[in-house]
Amino acid sequence: MTMSSVAPEAAGYNVDVVEKTDNRMVLSMGPQHPSTHGVLQIVTEIEGEIVTKASPEIGYLHTGIEKSAENLFWSQASTVIERMDYLSPLTNALCYYLAVEKLLAIEQQIPPRAQQVRVLVSELSRIASHCVWLGTGGIDLGALTGFFYCFDLRERILDLFEMSGGARMHPNYIRVGGLAQDLPDGFLGKLDAVIDMYEPRMRDVRRLLQKNPILQDRMIDVGIIEPQDAVAWSLTGPVLRGTGIAYDVRKAFPYCGYENYEFDVPTRTEGDAYARFLVRLDEMDEAMRIVRQVRKELDAPGPWQIPDTKFAPPPKETIALSMEALIHHFKLVSESFRVPPGDVYQAVEGPRGELGYYVVSNGDNRPWRVRTRPPSMYNLQVLKKIALGELIADMVVMIGSLDPVFGEVDR
Amino acid sequence: MPSPQAPPAGATALDPTAVRPDIADARVVRTTPGELRAVLDGLRNEGMTMLVDVGGVDYLERVPRYDVVYHLMKITTAPASPAQVGTPERVRVLCGVPGDAPVVPSVAGVWPSADWAEREIFDLYGITFTGHPDLRRIQMPDEWEGHPLRKDYPLRGPARERTPRPSFALKSNVAAGTPASGRTAAALQKQIAQARGRSELHGAADPAAAAQSAKHPGGSATAGEAKPEQLADRPVNLKSKDNTP
Repeated sequence: MTMSSVAPEAAGYNVDVVEKTDNRMVLSMGPQHPSTHGVLQIVTEIEGEIVTKASPEIGYLHTGIEKSAENLFWSQASTVIERMDYLSPLTNALCYYLAVEKLLAIEQQIPPRAQQVRVLVSELSRIASHCVWLGTGGIDLGALTGFFYCFDLRERILDLFEMSGGARMHPNYIRVGGLAQDLPDGFLGKLDAVIDMYEPRMRDVRRLLQKNPILQDRMIDVGIIEPQDAVAWSLTGPVLRGTGIAYDVRKAFPYCGYENYEFDVPTRTEGDAYARFLVRLDEMDEAMRIVRQVRKELDAPGPWQIPDTKFAPPPKETIALSMEALIHHFKLVSESFRVPPGDVYQAVEGPRGELGYYVVSNGDNRPWRVRTRPPSMYNLQVLKKIALGELIADMVVMIGSLDPVFGEVDR
Repeated sequence: MPSPQAPPAGATALDPTAVRPDIADARVVRTTPGELRAVLDGLRNEGMTMLVDVGGVDYLERVPRYDVVYHLMKITTAPASPAQVGTPERVRVLCGVPGDAPVVPSVAGVWPSADWAEREIFDLYGITFTGHPDLRRIQMPDEWEGHPLRKDYPLRGPARERTPRPSFALKSNVAAGTPASGRTAAALQKQIAQARGRSELHGAADPAAAAQSAKHPGGSATAGEAKPEQLADRPVNLKSKDNTP
């Protein structure tokens, strides 16, 4: 950084530092930077405005969730696991419980209604999570209005979660063997309202953001990732699909009956920030397409958890009447259930990519190990590579296009 | 808390990996740190292009003690449609690492994504990766003591473990019979006995107050009348209000 206009000595500055470092300076960005979407520190070396080295530093939000999960019952662990990716908590819980159900060998017995509702909340989570990414990503680039449009839509989806599970952010609605409860009265009406408002709302958002020349200028040809690099850096989700590889866990390893629904996997081949932007926007439309298909199946009532009360609590009204129901309820609450020994890797397509759980059981009522495969941690890591040679001002664009969530990166 | 009727945990299976052939989620390959690079290079030549994840597991009493788990996937490196991607093949490589010499060769030179994952295992398990470009702690602070995901690591951390616990925590752990902190039950009992000794000393110094507190187990009146200096030098008191059985 040269200061040519004013003589630095005259201004009283010691210019030795500037001259000795040969136009190179180290700039620490974060961890309290609003555009890092959390607590990320990036130590960058810049030459003029060009980034020559970027080392992201993570761990500021480490809360020991994996350690906590090892010390909780199988059924309690999902409460901390939901706090990892706090923008789509139900996806985390779903993946964890799918792994547990595989270990319990009950994954074939999950009733269809539970599967449909699981698909419904996963896709609604994806839309809500992408709403946050879209809104805050726009703010990073100075487009404030889109934020309100997106958060209004997200708020209505969170209202649905609140109706179903009792909480907006961490409803803990998915349980082993099914759901915590059936969809409440009035849920489907509100869901219809969300489905109806989605299309006009997204048309507005696309008009505001997608065709915005300022946003296009900032995002096109910024942070380009080649497909072979994307595979070498273990990128998944929209970041991988932005390079043209249509790997989607819902298609490759279907779970919860995703193979029964019609949807496409949006891809772009450019690999830049704008390609990832478009892939996520198209993904929201595909998610809504699945929601519409699930909605048609939800009118018919049916069981929403497995009848085996060794794992799923018996219905509340039977507890006062049946001795066995009372005993099962007491045992589940006081010491949970035991899971046969084994290890399993289960993956789902989260909003950020392949979310995986490697769960090990030693036959106890607590997990021996719950290892998360955090998609945002791997996606964020590629920043070390793509930031090289870019402008320091574009760092914010690149972070936004990778969509990290630090509850999950740091766990 | 485990039921007293239940079989003791840990005795059932110390190595629960690959005991469930019904869960066919991946091909499982076992290896040792010495052969790890050869195994992974062979799999890479087979087309396992993506290192999906690297994780660690501590089996505590098993020999070898740790597992470093590599999840690999066979995926194309060129733009492809969902039909072309198909269902990629998965391989899980379990590398047993001895507890007394936890050293594993790094694969960060082959798969750059292994960088942070290996740093995380180094940080949380204390397993060293030779050849890693930048091996330092990633989640915990640099000056942190111990490796938190090890099974013998105290739950509240070593620094807080050395300080006396609040009395309610002492009591609940004794009731559970299993100190969640990983400390031995004998150590807990000793600490409780010390705490009891201290509180009985106080009772002897002020017999009237002790008698009154026995009459009123709720202790609200006693707490109101107690002198501040008496409360101050009671670091752990099992007979205080929140611990009266």
